Amino acid sequence: MTRNEIKDIVIEIIEDIDEDAEMDSLDSEKPLRDQLDLDSMDFLDIVMELRKRYKLQIPEADYPQLATLTSCVNYLEPKLQDV
Amino acid sequence: MNTNYSLIIIGGGLSGLAAGIRYARFGGSVLILEKHTIPGGLNSYYSRKGFLLETGLHAMTNFADPGEKHAPLNRLFRQLKLSRKQFITHEQFSSLIHFPDKTTLSFSNDFSLLRDEVARVFPSEIDGFDKLQAFIDSLDAFAPNPRLSTRMILADYIHDPLLTEMLLLPLMVYGNSEEHDMDFSQFAIMFRSIFKEGMFRPHGTIKDFLDLLVTKFTSFGGEIRYKSHVVSCLKKGNRITGVTLANGEIINCNNVISTIGAPGTWNLLSLPPENDMCGKMSFMESIYILPSNARKNILNDHTIIFYSEKKEFQYCRPQSPVDPSWGVICFPENFQNLPLGDHFQIRVTNAANYELWKNASSSQYKLMKVEWGKVSKEITTKIIGNYQQNIVYEDSFTPLTIEKFTAKEQGAVYGSPFKIKNGKTPCPNLFIAGTDQGFLGIVGSMLSGVSMVNQHILQE
Repeated sequence: MTRNEIKDIVIEIIEDIDEDAEMDSLDSEKPLRDQLDLDSMDFLDIVMELRKRYKLQIPEADYPQLATLTSCVNYLEPKLQDV
Repeated sequence: MNTNYSLIIIGGGLSGLAAGIRYARFGGSVLILEKHTIPGGLNSYYSRKGFLLETGLHAMTNFADPGEKHAPLNRLFRQLKLSRKQFITHEQFSSLIHFPDKTTLSFSNDFSLLRDEVARVFPSEIDGFDKLQAFIDSLDAFAPNPRLSTRMILADYIHDPLLTEMLLLPLMVYGNSEEHDMDFSQFAIMFRSIFKEGMFRPHGTIKDFLDLLVTKFTSFGGEIRYKSHVVSCLKKGNRITGVTLANGEIINCNNVISTIGAPGTWNLLSLPPENDMCGKMSFMESIYILPSNARKNILNDHTIIFYSEKKEFQYCRPQSPVDPSWGVICFPENFQNLPLGDHFQIRVTNAANYELWKNASSSQYKLMKVEWGKVSKEITTKIIGNYQQNIVYEDSFTPLTIEKFTAKEQGAVYGSPFKIKNGKTPCPNLFIAGTDQGFLGIVGSMLSGVSMVNQHILQE
């Protein structure tokens, strides 16, 4: 999967989780939680959705690496390269 | 048929359905086992004479507009992947706390009404009331706080015992499993859910709401079986490996969530109950159906009336089969923008003594229902006016009815006073959700199911 494809997947997952999420104005470098007003329960949904779709196990210690859209892509790129 | 599930949920009430949806959403194999023929547990329904009668629901608490992202109701909907925007709600008119000498406080989903009422009736208490409210706002009631006595804390803020009783009545009767006093964390949660967020009804009946949940659950691949009474858990060492049904069938699983309460769960493990796990608070509820034109004869502009005939109400298992000196009168049609039908209901709820109902012979039991229903009607007539001559149908349920249909031991609707807030049991793969985990009400018990799945099962 390319970086752009991964980015689209993350955006799609967030839109799926929150029917009110405003993705158009999203800054890829800023924390998702602050911009989208997500709480820890929503955040868990992102992790679980990645696991459901790609059988990815993301340990809790790695959650901070999913803070921004760019850091999500950086973290997921090696894991999803063969998908 | 599959006989090995990642998760078995015992009980198809609201906490079990919410836990099931949450787990099935991410592809886990999950089976809900419900002993009754329909879902809902405490919040279910039955039909009589063409009327669909609801069993638990007076109102849902925790009202929030769809835009309030962090409100419990909206969080719950996101977690279950249900659309909050498509969920139509009807807010309450207003409710009334009615004490002797015509002392009343009304409240609605606008908190300022209650504040104004406290200032009107108890002018010298308003500063204390504001401080109490600020303290509750500052508190993280969901953190594992030690148990604190609500009465002791209230005494720091409120000096008139009548105001204390008036504030306690609605919050106790809608969710307190303990007699006389209440855990302050629980009080704070209830204060927010009822006074600050407020009460509403979903559009349609509880049956429609349950249908929505069951449909969501099965659309994610979850399975539910009715008339499936779990009688024991199979163990290997400390771990649960499966459950046995009353018909002898064995179903294997990796994890279990039990929503049947702590005493019932300990029973399945053949463990003796710890402490005094059974709650003492149970109720008799009567449902009266009246033709629509009988509305004009009675006080009918509130949604719920919490009343006490005495300045101090006794929140405990009464000495007599029923204690009608305090209770709740609910008008299930009195929510904003609900279409009016040909008939309307009045529901009256009073504390009741489980043992006295349990020990009665079947003829005594029938007689007691009639007699105590009469006393309750006479007392509530003094408050709302005479409705008795217009009743076209009535039915009541007692602590025994509750025990039979909901698996709440001794009919204790709010479960055990000893809550297991982390959901853990002596078995590492068995967790408690629902009433005995500590969250109450429809929204609370559903959040309980969701949070137990999130904390213990989803991240394995």
